[in-house]
Amino acid sequence: MSAQTTTTINAQSVDLSKHPSGIIPTLQNIVSTVNMATELDLKVIALNARNAEYNPKRFAAVILRIREPKTTALIFKSGKMVCTGAKSEESSRLAARKYARIIQKLDFPAKFQDFKIQNIVGSCDVKFPIKLERLHDAHTSFTNYEPEIFPGLIYKMIQPKVVLLIFVSGKIVLTGAKVREEIYEAFENIYPVLTAFKKTTTTALTNI
Amino acid sequence: MTNTTPLKQNYYELYRRSTVGEALTDTLDELLQNQYINQNVYTKILTQFDKSINEALSTGVKSKAVIKGKLHTYRFCDSVWTFIIDNAEFKSDSETTRVDRVKIVACDAHVTETPPPK
Repeated sequence: MSAQTTTTINAQSVDLSKHPSGIIPTLQNIVSTVNMATELDLKVIALNARNAEYNPKRFAAVILRIREPKTTALIFKSGKMVCTGAKSEESSRLAARKYARIIQKLDFPAKFQDFKIQNIVGSCDVKFPIKLERLHDAHTSFTNYEPEIFPGLIYKMIQPKVVLLIFVSGKIVLTGAKVREEIYEAFENIYPVLTAFKKTTTTALTNI
Repeated sequence: MTNTTPLKQNYYELYRRSTVGEALTDTLDELLQNQYINQNVYTKILTQFDKSINEALSTGVKSKAVIKGKLHTYRFCDSVWTFIIDNAEFKSDSETTRVDRVKIVACDAHVTETPPPK
């Protein structure tokens, strides 16, 4: 993952009414879809667009990439497109428009219908270690923790409907949101829980 | 290597445009024009050349080269990769060459059923 995971700004610059924890999760990936509402000849696209990959034996879509916003698009024969990799909602939309423009320039009557953000992924670092085992025991109805299969604890929050991956290190990944507010809300919900299951160095002594 | 049951296999014809391939083609053209050989022999020799050079390059050549630069454009279509590289540096064990821009076309060496691209 990229180096920048958390935006920890001075307490003054964070709107504490929106982010009581003082931590704002960083958006890492946005997945969006749009319908260009026209049948496409993928081979024509693969042969004429730059930075295209088309291997119909493996996958029935052309894979296109642009450098700004740095994203990847999957273009299907039906004219439907999936755009991934953007770091914000607006850049995801801008990227999708750029791809639609590329398709238009190849003489397809591409439209730009039903643009929708399908998933938002965020991450942050609470900067303290977490007792995952205990957290799992206390929130069993929401959690899934099998360290031999995956080292992170999977927390399925119901409201907002967001899935969190919580690691011993205090690093958190949040996914499944449709709007960024759900990421923020999910993090503010989980933060007090995490502080309650903070791993302290004295734990070993108190257990004696 | 003897092949008693000749397999129907396609080989890339792209090496016909290499220096050695062109020299061979020129010679064969001349022989054909002067009627020392017929079209059948002409085709047969070139087909054998395709086969031999593909085998020679895959088994006989040991030297390696490293190509570095900024990838300007890439494409993958019909099992062929195309790369356009800016400020490319070609490094082999003996020498280094720089070019402002180079286009690399790469095909799968283990093609069996798909016909070679023209």
